[in-house]
Amino acid sequence: MSYFKTVAVTSWGLVKGLGITLKYLFTPAITVQYPYEKLALSDRYRGALAFHPDICISCEMCVRACPSNCISLEAKRNEETKKKDLAWYKIDFGKCNYCRLCEEICPTKPKSVHHTKEYELTFSDRSDFVQEWKTSVPQPAASEPGQIWSQHLTLGQKLGPNPTTNASATPSSPAGMFHD
Amino acid sequence: MAKGPWAVTGPWVPSQTPAALRRRYFMSFVVLGVLLLPIVGLVAYLGDRPWRLIEDVFALSNKAAALAGFQIPAWHLDVLATVLPFVFVIVLMQVAPIFLVWWEMKIAAHIQIRMGPMWVGRFHGALQTIADGIKLLLKEDIVPRGADRKLHFWAPVIVVAPAYVCFAPIPFGKTGFAPIHLDVGLLFVLGVSGLSVIGLLMAGWGSNSKYSVLGGLRAAAQMVSYEIPRVIALVPVVMWAGTLSLGGIMDAQAGLWHGVLPRWFIFYPVVGQIAFIIYLISSIAETNRTPFDLAEAESELTSGFHTEYSGMKWAMFFMAEYAYMFLACALGAVLFLGGGAPIHPSLSFIPSYAWFFLKVFALVFVFIWVRWTYPRMRVDRLMEFCWKFLLPWALVNVALAGFVFLMRS
Repeated sequence: MSYFKTVAVTSWGLVKGLGITLKYLFTPAITVQYPYEKLALSDRYRGALAFHPDICISCEMCVRACPSNCISLEAKRNEETKKKDLAWYKIDFGKCNYCRLCEEICPTKPKSVHHTKEYELTFSDRSDFVQEWKTSVPQPAASEPGQIWSQHLTLGQKLGPNPTTNASATPSSPAGMFHD
Repeated sequence: MAKGPWAVTGPWVPSQTPAALRRRYFMSFVVLGVLLLPIVGLVAYLGDRPWRLIEDVFALSNKAAALAGFQIPAWHLDVLATVLPFVFVIVLMQVAPIFLVWWEMKIAAHIQIRMGPMWVGRFHGALQTIADGIKLLLKEDIVPRGADRKLHFWAPVIVVAPAYVCFAPIPFGKTGFAPIHLDVGLLFVLGVSGLSVIGLLMAGWGSNSKYSVLGGLRAAAQMVSYEIPRVIALVPVVMWAGTLSLGGIMDAQAGLWHGVLPRWFIFYPVVGQIAFIIYLISSIAETNRTPFDLAEAESELTSGFHTEYSGMKWAMFFMAEYAYMFLACALGAVLFLGGGAPIHPSLSFIPSYAWFFLKVFALVFVFIWVRWTYPRMRVDRLMEFCWKFLLPWALVNVALAGFVFLMRS
């Protein structure tokens, strides 16, 4: 009899397995159709750093706070206003460890260096890691290295909504946010 | 952020799937089903016309020839009538894997709560298989240095060819739709499908690779062993039908039990179900699919006998696999599910070939479902299961069927 019991128990187990897979067959897929659909990020998400040269007071607090030494800047003293004028500001994204210390230490209001929710960073060359902002010269044009990843940032917008799903596409941050 | 159903903000837990999402998902299936109804209507409207059309073309060409003042020799039409069904089978065997592979990818993905291919062909990756086929056509054909070039070349051919030949006596809906009418159709199919084992062994030996040899040996051992319970499971069917002709077996299942249940062999109490289950299990083993895919066990043998194959040769092994899967399902539909018979005579406005393919694809779904449910068996357990479980029960089933047969007569 134990033979038949074994057969029955085993068969029931196999049928149960089939039932589970059938249940999952009719469960909605959890796939997010990136880059057409994106998950909502936490408000505290630390994405790429953004910098605003017009707000910056060149105090170099961020340079000192940075644990990986990826920020550097140069400023000249303005004799008329007795303040420092920013010459250039560089962030090496190859070194940056996205710790938010520079944003926390930044004394200006609003913060002149801060994290964004941008995570779609690609660099095709090691020198592209170093992003430079300048104030003494006109803002870089779209073809210059500073814009190289804002091209990628708008990938979702360029491709348009996914034709295979009805879900509305979620464009990422607006283009050119690093140089406004 | 997105307002669509995919704006997920946290880790996804199946038990926390909102009821609304489930309902929406279920509704999409219902809508898809409703959208498929016009196809059923179209097929029902066409009915047997495609076949009549061929006859009409013959008749018309005869008339045209008569008008032009000469007679078309009868053998021309004979040759055409012989060649056309085979063209149909060959085209079917080229098209069926394209659909089956896509279906398998989608079902596998959804069982694993993924989406599968979504891009190629716009509608849920419908053309993914064609893209894959083009890729395989363009791939380099690699032959290992130490390989036996002749064996390596001919193995996929010998695996694929019987798979095509096996479709010759299959009645695609009605008895008349079989490309050839064989009185021993069942024996022919089972016999010829066994020939592929030679190709698998050749592929295993000719590749000059340890993985290939082991895979080929396993495949041969497994296919030869499971052939036995498979055939013996079909003996009750043959006993009841009193014929080995596939069309005859299909016709023997006409009619209803008590005016409700169709007289299909799967509905014969106890014996029919045991025979069907044994047939199904050993067919899955025959096609080397997952609970029994020891021949290509990835974790042990990389991919068994087709480890050293690439490009179109590799694709031919897969075409053979899917052709055999289709064949097993077609045989299952003919032998156990009444072939082209409707589930109730009131539904007979849907033509027989539509019913036939419906049943075949239902069985194909079972094959895929089983594949993505169970883990692989151990090699000794596989043989034990075949010889110590399936075979005795198949024999008991034959005895039972004989007993019932005696009691009746």
